[in-house]
Amino acid sequence: MKSWHRYAITLVGGIAVGLGAAWAITGGGLSGGAIVNGPWTTSLGFGTKATDPVTRAAVARAGLLALPAKETVYWSAKTDAAGAPLDGNCRYSLSGTPLDARWWSVTIYDEAGYLVANPANSWSVNGANVALDAKGEWRVTIAPTRLAEGAWLPGTKGQPFHLTLRMYNPGKAFRANPAKAVLPQIVKEGC
Amino acid sequence: MRNWLGPLAFGLIVAAATAYVAIWAIPYALMNVAIERLGQGGVNTMSYGNLATPQRQPVVRPSPDLAYSSCPYDLSDGPIAIDVAPVPGRYSSLSIFDAATDVIFVRNDVEAGGKPFRIIVARAGQAVPKGAEVVRTNQDHGIALIRLLLKEPAEIGGLDAIRRQSSCGTVTKLK
Repeated sequence: MKSWHRYAITLVGGIAVGLGAAWAITGGGLSGGAIVNGPWTTSLGFGTKATDPVTRAAVARAGLLALPAKETVYWSAKTDAAGAPLDGNCRYSLSGTPLDARWWSVTIYDEAGYLVANPANSWSVNGANVALDAKGEWRVTIAPTRLAEGAWLPGTKGQPFHLTLRMYNPGKAFRANPAKAVLPQIVKEGC
Repeated sequence: MRNWLGPLAFGLIVAAATAYVAIWAIPYALMNVAIERLGQGGVNTMSYGNLATPQRQPVVRPSPDLAYSSCPYDLSDGPIAIDVAPVPGRYSSLSIFDAATDVIFVRNDVEAGGKPFRIIVARAGQAVPKGAEVVRTNQDHGIALIRLLLKEPAEIGGLDAIRRQSSCGTVTKLK
């Protein structure tokens, strides 16, 4: 083998490895952030000039056109409260109290971050359409089939899912300590 | 084997350089795709997108609770003007993103005092109308996005006429 053959091989290999590494490094998604609160993770550095190239690329891949934290905090959950991956075959209770924000919503996506067709044409719950019980709490069930009663957010059989919690104009108390804020509970009830 | 030491070291350098350039380029590439997808209605004009559904997801993680209006812009022929008409008592915001996906401007309805406002987006050195509120950027391309929150998807029927009062276009008069 001639010398330039070896260089040609490592040139091609190097480019392939470099592209693969760039894709892997920036694949952390919205959960690549620094703040963890139960199953929820976020980064307050989204959408600002100060983010480093890796964070910028990761956000561009996972949440292009995301707003900065003062405007909206995006939390991502890939697991339930016990740490098990969210599974479309299972039934989960998603519950909480009204959040410290002007508006909030929880949206269900597939692993790649896209909406999946479901019979209810429903992909989210928000602060304006959840009902509060006597204790001031709301509760939604995520399950692949419709329930006899109560609010339902459809999961898809055979598919893992992710949840994104958006908090628009989060309150001062929340912004002072997002890691300790009270966020919705995600509890698996059965499969 | 010794014959490979040089080529392998070269390959490692190529890999590191490629990764560095690719990480830097990913936001620009994805922004170009978004401009392409959101710009079906044209550049420097506001498109009033339908609500996100599994069939219509121009960007990743679209919110089904938001009515997005978007203006992919190109400043190479001059500044653009964005006019925003907030919907009373309703969260809405204008955000402007440059070609690197960085946010260069955000204003919500409360910050706007619930009143309509106009923003000029211009490159450094471009002449702008006197007294206008100007956002300067180093890049020709980007996207201006207006988000309007809906309590239910069906609300869009009643709110569509108001959101269509927001617009975007090339600045033609400097006075």
